[in-house]
Amino acid sequence: MASLATRRLLREIGQVQVVGVRFGSAGPPIPLQKVNIGKREIVGFGNNGEINYVDSVMSPFPAIRFKEDVGEVAALRTKEQGDWKKMTKEEKKALYRASFCQTLTELEAPTGEWKSVTGLVLLGLSLGLWGYLWVKWVVYGDMPDTITNDEKRKAQIERMIALRVNPVEGFASKYDYEKGKWKE
Amino acid sequence: MLRFALRTVPRLSAIRTATRAQQTVMSVGSLRMQQQVRLMSSENLADAEFDARYEAFFNRPDIDGWEIRKGMSDLVQMDLVPDPIIVAAALRACRRVNDYALTTRILEIVKIKCADQVNEIWPYMIQELKPTLDELGILLPEEMGYDQPELALPNPYDIH
Repeated sequence: MASLATRRLLREIGQVQVVGVRFGSAGPPIPLQKVNIGKREIVGFGNNGEINYVDSVMSPFPAIRFKEDVGEVAALRTKEQGDWKKMTKEEKKALYRASFCQTLTELEAPTGEWKSVTGLVLLGLSLGLWGYLWVKWVVYGDMPDTITNDEKRKAQIERMIALRVNPVEGFASKYDYEKGKWKE
Repeated sequence: MLRFALRTVPRLSAIRTATRAQQTVMSVGSLRMQQQVRLMSSENLADAEFDARYEAFFNRPDIDGWEIRKGMSDLVQMDLVPDPIIVAAALRACRRVNDYALTTRILEIVKIKCADQVNEIWPYMIQELKPTLDELGILLPEEMGYDQPELALPNPYDIH
């Protein structure tokens, strides 16, 4: 009960909470970091007991209201004490926005970030591909004519046959020496 | 297996049983209904006690906003969809502390808790909550226009 009393007392005095109550026991309060939240009302435990406002689906009830109870909001608060059926939809929405910054649907709404990500990935990919092409076309010279010239290649093949290169399982094994042509 | 605290047949009064038996709900629920009419396994007793405890917590006449939020936070952190009885008790508690925004937030998070079975569970939830909603004058998030995003907030990490 002492902890309940301290909490209410703190809410009433001011919105800068400087001491906290030890969890589950009597004893001197422990000092907290000073948190400046303006005149916003402390309404709950929040995600971890810290007096801040964070919208999160995993912790949907922040420790403080989003807006201060001034001006129009204060007027709506008095209406809130009465019959809710007498409030218009706009007033109810205003009350919601006074307590909360975003609705949970807005929190979960798609951001379209995937388009940026896909675009940047494809840009990176294309840079890589252009890099490869540059290396192939500019950095590397032409291939030697022992590879590009067909006659020279034929001469090389004939020499390899005559030398019986890899006759068991490789090149010459595919040549039929009795018939004098390539095996089918 | 997901603990499904939402049930179609309560363990309390016969009147409630009679009304609920006439309601056709989703197939999963009606299957459980038949099972529960016949036997009370230990799992259902634990569910009943859980519901009763939370309902009693929210029905406390001297509850304050801090405790409603803490209770609801703990409830939605569990892997279950709260029984409509508990949600109704929480909404009535919000009325006692004169906090309208909290009712909308509670309804929003309960809908999100239905996850991919929202088409089966949410209509049932609304059906069960209708008397409380009408009595207190609470609009559903859909009726307020909050089932679609209304305002946009730039991502703080994207602001350069």
